[in-house]
Amino acid sequence: MTTGTFLLARHSFSRIRAVLIGLGLLLAGFQFLLVQVAAYFARENAFDQLSVLLPEFVRNMAGPSVLGFMSFGGIVSLGYFHPVVITTLVGLMIWIATEPAGEVETRFVDLALSRPITRHDAMTRSVLVLIGAGSLMLLLMLTGTWVGLTCCTPAGADRPAPGLFVSLAGSLAAVMAAWGGVSLAITAAAKRRAAAGGVAGVCALAAYLLDYLGRAWKPAQTLSAISPFHYFETMPLVMGQPLDVRNIGILMGVGTLGATIGYIRFARRDI
Amino acid sequence: MTPDGLPAIRLDHLTKQYGRLFALKGVSLEVQPGEIFGFLGLNGAGKTTTIRVLLDLVRATSGRAFVFGIDCHRRGVDARTRIGYLPGELGFYGDMTGEATLDVLARLSRQRIDASWQKELFERLDLPREVLRKKVREYSTGMKRKLGIVQAFQSDANLLILDEPTEGLDPLMQEAFYELLMRTRREGRTVFMSSHVLPEVERVCDRIGLVRQGELVLVSPVADVRRLAARRVRILFREAVSPPRDGWPDGCEVLEVTPRVWHLRVRGPLGDLLAKLASLPVEDIEVPEPHLEDVLRRYYSESGS
Repeated sequence: MTTGTFLLARHSFSRIRAVLIGLGLLLAGFQFLLVQVAAYFARENAFDQLSVLLPEFVRNMAGPSVLGFMSFGGIVSLGYFHPVVITTLVGLMIWIATEPAGEVETRFVDLALSRPITRHDAMTRSVLVLIGAGSLMLLLMLTGTWVGLTCCTPAGADRPAPGLFVSLAGSLAAVMAAWGGVSLAITAAAKRRAAAGGVAGVCALAAYLLDYLGRAWKPAQTLSAISPFHYFETMPLVMGQPLDVRNIGILMGVGTLGATIGYIRFARRDI
Repeated sequence: MTPDGLPAIRLDHLTKQYGRLFALKGVSLEVQPGEIFGFLGLNGAGKTTTIRVLLDLVRATSGRAFVFGIDCHRRGVDARTRIGYLPGELGFYGDMTGEATLDVLARLSRQRIDASWQKELFERLDLPREVLRKKVREYSTGMKRKLGIVQAFQSDANLLILDEPTEGLDPLMQEAFYELLMRTRREGRTVFMSSHVLPEVERVCDRIGLVRQGELVLVSPVADVRRLAARRVRILFREAVSPPRDGWPDGCEVLEVTPRVWHLRVRGPLGDLLAKLASLPVEDIEVPEPHLEDVLRRYYSESGS
């Protein structure tokens, strides 16, 4: 990594800091709120009633994991695999990863790359910003959970082990890395940020729906293996199983492959 | 410091092809240190592509480009430490102030910025501090162009590559910019500027290169180009005269002939015409200074042929 990488990364972070802080606080607040909700159910002893409220087909589809979810730990963990949170974080990764395309579009790239900066610097900058921004989001989410659990866990509630949240955050980090990498591969050849973001967003949505379909409909199960979300397994973690390192490896592999393609394409293209 | 004996820019059979379209066709050129070189051509002729190859933003299909002997592609970072660049299209972020923009770009240049030189640039281009503290989105086109000029000049690079530098500048600021160019030349730095404003090129450039449909069709000192120009000659007679019966001298083209005034266009030396006029009652002869435009228009118009 060169001085150019750090200068570009600093420039990028300074431009998006308000968004990162705002979004991070929102996510932390959401985690804190979930602890409040879980504490309320725990105090009211309402988890059993909650599972009764679920339609039978949902209970059948989710299997025994639904019981794990209908607990203090399950509700608290929800923030790490809630569709809104996943959409937000994957969206953030796509937005950050498409910065090089945005710079090509606005022609800032002419000003930057006419200086002693390499194209690799520009891509490495994006990787750094992805890692930095992703880590910040997860750190704030974990902080929100920790603050909530520390101040609001009702007596007698089965407080989950800190390792569960670290594992959930790790899984989330892996899926974010995968989409960051895929977006870098797409953006490296794009001339417009909206086009790159649109393509990456549609891919992410399609992959999410495919994974959902695979979980709900047996014939689609094999095909759903091509979706990165297929390897984002959180329920087993909530049920107390250890983190599946293979899944993390696959997701990180997708991210690394995407980033590598991005580096090669960006280095070879005309700007 | 510029390495002795090496041209500031060397283009060696540069070709850039997009599918079946040639943006550049075997362009070879040398620009010497301390020179102000005007790179001319109509829109889409290949000026900006050439500049982008020099900056390694576009990769040549074949041929090579060098800056002070350094390969612009293989050792692009080294080459670009010697370049100050003003793009034709300025990609500043609207949400940044002018000051912050210059600061970021100065850091990326990795060269120490002389504060007094930067201040002088602000003064010359009429960019007061209060303007620099505003967001760039509040700037007019001319203000953005001035900011662009400052970022290109502030690092005191040995080679300045300027793409349409005065586009959007008012006449006063154009004047300030020309003075800046003169100073740059006095300091021995090289300027490679693309333009289609011919009077500007004529005024500030030492040599010009004209690119047409990707080919370099003319490279010449500005003074020599002027000599190539067909001169308009107006001859006023004391009394009515008839056009010569034995024909006009070679290179003479009749624009308008009246009994007491002849308007001619003459290519080449005027000697034969003056010999012909010797026996006639000439009262006055006007030969205005030819303009670069007169020659270049011919080169431009030949593009279609």
